[in-house]
Amino acid sequence: MDADIVIDARGLEPPEPMVRTMAALEQLGDAQKLLVLLPREPYPLYRALEINGFSWQTECRPDGTVEVLIRHQPQ
Amino acid sequence: MQALLSFDQAPPFSAPIRFFVSAPLFAILAGLLMLWSGPDLFSSRWTPAALALTHLITAGFMLQVMLGAMFQILPVVAGANISRPLLIATVVHAAIALGALLLAAAFLSHQPLAFRLAVISLGSGLALFAGAAGHALYGVPSRNPTIVGLKLSLVGLSMTVGIGALLAIALDASLALPLLQLTSIHLGWGFVGWGMVLLAAVAFVVVPMFQMTPPYPPGVARHFCWSVLVLLSLWSVVELADWQWPAALLAGALVLAAAVFAAVTLHVQRRSKRARFDATQHYWRVAMLCALAACLLWFLASLLPTLAERPEWPLLCGVLVLSGGFMSVMIGMLYKIVPFLVWLHLQNLGGGRVMAPNMNKVIAGEQIDRQMRAHFVSLAVLLAAVAWPEWFTYPAGIALVVANSWLLRNLLAAVTFYQQHRSTIQGLAPAVATGR
Repeated sequence: MDADIVIDARGLEPPEPMVRTMAALEQLGDAQKLLVLLPREPYPLYRALEINGFSWQTECRPDGTVEVLIRHQPQ
Repeated sequence: MQALLSFDQAPPFSAPIRFFVSAPLFAILAGLLMLWSGPDLFSSRWTPAALALTHLITAGFMLQVMLGAMFQILPVVAGANISRPLLIATVVHAAIALGALLLAAAFLSHQPLAFRLAVISLGSGLALFAGAAGHALYGVPSRNPTIVGLKLSLVGLSMTVGIGALLAIALDASLALPLLQLTSIHLGWGFVGWGMVLLAAVAFVVVPMFQMTPPYPPGVARHFCWSVLVLLSLWSVVELADWQWPAALLAGALVLAAAVFAAVTLHVQRRSKRARFDATQHYWRVAMLCALAACLLWFLASLLPTLAERPEWPLLCGVLVLSGGFMSVMIGMLYKIVPFLVWLHLQNLGGGRVMAPNMNKVIAGEQIDRQMRAHFVSLAVLLAAVAWPEWFTYPAGIALVVANSWLLRNLLAAVTFYQQHRSTIQGLAPAVATGR
């Protein structure tokens, strides 16, 4: 996936993946994309993205890694 | 600073925490019961005090932790939100707490009315929970082994409670039912269909997440929960029909499945990236070793009839499974779940103006370590009490009270930490602090 910022949160203990993703979202420019790599589907993150005005696409790699590509919702 | 909200519809902090704080109270009562009844408690698994003690741990301690954890895990792991979580948690918590107390009182007093009230209280509370959790999970695709396991565990819970209610009514009304077989089936569904299936479903997520291990082997994760439930159902039918050989064979397969799960967990744990084990990891390791010891004991008893005839062996298995296995895992998990909840709610309340404190500061590390040692001492003394009840029953009762008072203290410390920081946040940022 083509992204401006990439966070590989696969080896991090909770709540670190959430903390880093939320921090990166604050810095995310209007046209930029953030890619987060996780070991599982982040249901709480989806809700956080929804209420903060982001859209996302999720894909699962064959090795079980979940890729979440995030961007601002179009105005 | 994070100005973003992380959630708006997660269960309020007080929904799961009430279950967690209540759990050690039941174990303290179990310890007091041991002191009150004395060494006679250990003369057989069927003594009124032994039955009351077992249910204070299972329907008291364990049920409180398991339901509290499910309130939290369903939305986080499965994306399944229980509607009106605070109302449901309040009613379910009150009903099962009262029900567990009534059940223990019923075993001790043999009062039919106490059995009836216990069935009504526990049954209605658990029916409400199973309905609410089932409704939340309905329509959630079974995308991973954890979601499948969570759904199946509700079947296990319903069967355990259903058969338990039948037994309580049968004791009261002297119905002509095969009580011994039904008791075995109730125990099988409680330990395996509800306890082990839920534990495995949760372990597939939380062991890699919190213990920095590789994932469970996909074959184990994918097939464990449903195959265990199929084996358990078949075993229940042949056990009721009194077909001894097939029943023994299927029971052996179930015990072997439990041993495989424990061995795989130990194997996965050995590959943890963390250089030094924390309390949660120690708790899990001891729990899995106790589970393996209980399985070994079970197989030895099936091979050696002289061992099976001794009243100590089911008691020894019971202590290994309940205090060594389930209680250890649950306390170990509480030390991750509770600080995480405190952090999550404070982070959201802060709304970017106040940073949530570090998760590791919620409960002091040395207090966790001391409580863990107290729990392991209580486990050792309990095992000794099974072998030499006249010497060790009173020390075991005291040890159980001490270890669980310490757990209660640690959990209350987390609640106080949450309340203090919430007050600080509300003082600084009244506009965003609206949590309960």
